[in-house]
Amino acid sequence: MPFVRLLIAASIMLVAAWIPPAQAETTRQAMPETMAMLRHAIAAQTVEGKGQVPAFAQYLADKLESAGFSRSDIEIIPVEHTAALVVHYRGSDKSLKPILLSGHMDVVAANPKDWQRDPFKLVEGNGYLYGRGVADMKTNVIALVETFMRLKREHFVPKREMILVFSGDEETDMASTRELARRHHDAAFLLNADAGGGTYDAHYQPVVYDIQAAEKTYADFQLTVTSAGGHSSEPDAPKNAIYRLARALENIAAYQFPVQHDAITLASLKATGEHSSGPIAEAMRAFAANPDDAKAAATLSADPAYVGQIRTTCIATMLDGGHALNALPQRADANINCRIFPGTHVASVQAALVKVIDDPSVRITVRQPPPVESPASPLREDVVDAVTATIRERFAGVDVVPGMSAGASDSMYFRNAGVPSYGVDPTFSKPNDAFAHGLNEKLRASEVPAALDFWHSLLTRLTK
Amino acid sequence: MATHRTLLLGSLILAFGCPPLLAAETTAQAMPEYMDMLAHAISVQTVQGKDQVPALAGYFADKLEAAGFAKADIETFPVGHTEALVVRYRGKGEGKPFIVHGHMDVVPANAEGWSDHAPFKLVKDGPYYYGRGVADMKDQTVALVETFMRLKREGFVPRRDIILALTGDEETDEFTAEAVADRYRAAEFALDADGWSGEYDANLKPVMFGVVAAEKGYADFLVTATSPGGHSSEPNPDNAIYKLSAAMQKIAAYPFPVKYNGITLASFKAMSAHMRGALAESLHRFAEHPGDAKAAAVISADPAYVGQIRTTCVATELAAGHARNALPEKATANVNCRIFPGVTVAAVQQQLQRAVADPAIKVSVQDPAPVLGPISYPVLPQVMTVVTQTVRQRFPGLEVIPVMIPASSDSRHFRNHGVPTYGVSPAFAKPGDVHAHGYNERILASELPASLDFWHALLPALAGAK
Repeated sequence: MPFVRLLIAASIMLVAAWIPPAQAETTRQAMPETMAMLRHAIAAQTVEGKGQVPAFAQYLADKLESAGFSRSDIEIIPVEHTAALVVHYRGSDKSLKPILLSGHMDVVAANPKDWQRDPFKLVEGNGYLYGRGVADMKTNVIALVETFMRLKREHFVPKREMILVFSGDEETDMASTRELARRHHDAAFLLNADAGGGTYDAHYQPVVYDIQAAEKTYADFQLTVTSAGGHSSEPDAPKNAIYRLARALENIAAYQFPVQHDAITLASLKATGEHSSGPIAEAMRAFAANPDDAKAAATLSADPAYVGQIRTTCIATMLDGGHALNALPQRADANINCRIFPGTHVASVQAALVKVIDDPSVRITVRQPPPVESPASPLREDVVDAVTATIRERFAGVDVVPGMSAGASDSMYFRNAGVPSYGVDPTFSKPNDAFAHGLNEKLRASEVPAALDFWHSLLTRLTK
Repeated sequence: MATHRTLLLGSLILAFGCPPLLAAETTAQAMPEYMDMLAHAISVQTVQGKDQVPALAGYFADKLEAAGFAKADIETFPVGHTEALVVRYRGKGEGKPFIVHGHMDVVPANAEGWSDHAPFKLVKDGPYYYGRGVADMKDQTVALVETFMRLKREGFVPRRDIILALTGDEETDEFTAEAVADRYRAAEFALDADGWSGEYDANLKPVMFGVVAAEKGYADFLVTATSPGGHSSEPNPDNAIYKLSAAMQKIAAYPFPVKYNGITLASFKAMSAHMRGALAESLHRFAEHPGDAKAAAVISADPAYVGQIRTTCVATELAAGHARNALPEKATANVNCRIFPGVTVAAVQQQLQRAVADPAIKVSVQDPAPVLGPISYPVLPQVMTVVTQTVRQRFPGLEVIPVMIPASSDSRHFRNHGVPTYGVSPAFAKPGDVHAHGYNERILASELPASLDFWHALLPALAGAK
């Protein structure tokens, strides 16, 4: 009986609103459309100050509408000079809280003069895709949009609603992220395509897959040194603001914050260490077995990709000083970007910097927006199982482990607002290979179809 | 009879339409007009990028025209967004003209560092006037304009032409000075009012007056460090900012070789005779034993004197990074050098590269290409005599000697075109007291009327009265 009734119900639906039976699209079929959108996405210079995010959001909105999303389910929220994009994929069971799917449309600035290739042009070669945003994170933005379009064209109806929440200033102010978290915090959980992800070894063999379940606190500190200035023909080296700032920066460069650990980082290091070889892998295993192993800690600390797993890290990222070529500087500033281990307070990092700089004439302030501390997310079995199954469709048997991200992602605002958040970037990369934020940002070309496979499989699995 | 004839002559002149013989104006009478013009000049933000020099030049041109200068004798030399103002005080054509020059532009000023005063407002506070340009050098620019107006109103006619040249980019590119110097290369000599001539001791007693006959070469070097960049959550120790910081420390500590010449040794001897303390002793010893290491160390420790015995280089600007959360791909510093006469730009570049001791850090010469001017020494006797007399009208018996300044100015462009050029600025100051280019730039109020006195006496004496 239930079976018959279901059939009848289905017939009624077909009569009421006739929908042609659609075939599932293969990833191969979806690739040309994906690459065309990615090409457009890389060309859109969604860097701070250019005001290009709203146009890019509109482009994505138009694509989604053409695939069958109703206009009322697509919302572009202007936030200052940028915008957030929200797309509802309505579910059949209204009693279930939605799943949020998070990404960001903006990219870090890139100076074309310093790049070997035009940063705002998608270039393929040597098995890689090159371009600003190709790794961080327009490929996943496009893969999520493409997957929504594909599922819609296939007439897939999830039980649980899915909502795309794309921010427009993740790399800078995160004002659009705060706005998204303010509006959409009544959710079951959030999957962030800009965190977590897989690690390849040197031969592009998968090592481990990481679900980001916690992240370090992001804080920017400003160092400011002032001096009386004056005519540059009367140089007074000991008072020079630039020289005093330079000494402070040298002290910071030489300083290491204390070694720290928690359950997530130990599990993550253990799994990564077990699936690779060499001195770093050995150090990971040793550290996971005994976090007091100073030698292991030193080895990990020497690797930029892993030092953040065991310490708070602070590094100088910007400088600004002086006001004329022929005048002594009246002011010199530096930005110190810190990634603070969960459980450590921003104020204590500031105090440590004061001590390290050891010069009361160097002023240290916390920059706006205020740092956001977010709790680690409890590991949901359904999420971990679905992600593990999906990843193993590509790489059978690969270990999937929780991890702590050293970067500040959009998730921190959602975690802060009470939404458990998991970073599940489907792409794999070699450590230090992506140059996200830097010169010649790149991504293995193989990761694009893999991302389409992943999202299609994961989202149907979680919402069927 | 004699009286009668004189009267008759006077009537004849009046009948032929010659200007009436007017009463000389006193400096006290000229001061209100001067202070009004100075207040206006300070308020015009003639910094690079604001394109306000033409407005100030137009203001001066109107004032000069109102005082009786023919429109045809007031000319502008536009270069880009700035310009030079050139005013010819026509004489009787007896002898080559001479030039007196200054500049209308100023160094930028960040208001936040100025203690109680807005930088672009002339403010009296205690014994000082404050404001950007009040000492470098709108005080003299306006004093020269005022003196030209005053002499014209007095009916003064020089024997030879006096060319007043006010440039518009001395603090930056010096293109307008080059344009003017190129045009007036036939001048006998030039006086640069942008001088550092008169020095007071701590009790405001005059020490000496320097006639600037040599200046150091000026060059800006760009020091560039690069690194691969990347995400700041993966803090690669190969960081352009840290590499540049290390380079800055090394440049700060680098000892450029001790140097001297006839001008510096003579000026040390004269200066030290009027000073007391370790510095005076060291200057004296250095003059007696050129290059003496112990004396050189003491002199080098004083920012106001180190430039007299060495090439100096100092970091003046910094820039790095492209985002707070991204590792820097590039970090740069400008290093401003004042090069001892006889030392080449290339030699200084090599010294900086050696100081940095890191071949991965690039040291390049910034545009515009540096111009190193020759020395205008010995000083023309007529100039030396007249300047000395004029200075001693204010400070009887004061020593007036040729000096080298550690700074550089528009002068080198005139010198390079074959015009001997001497820096003579009538404003006296204690060393380090004026804060030129810095916060709270100031000048002693006493120096303003003294400047009017000086130019009013000096220019007719050099040009020859009718």
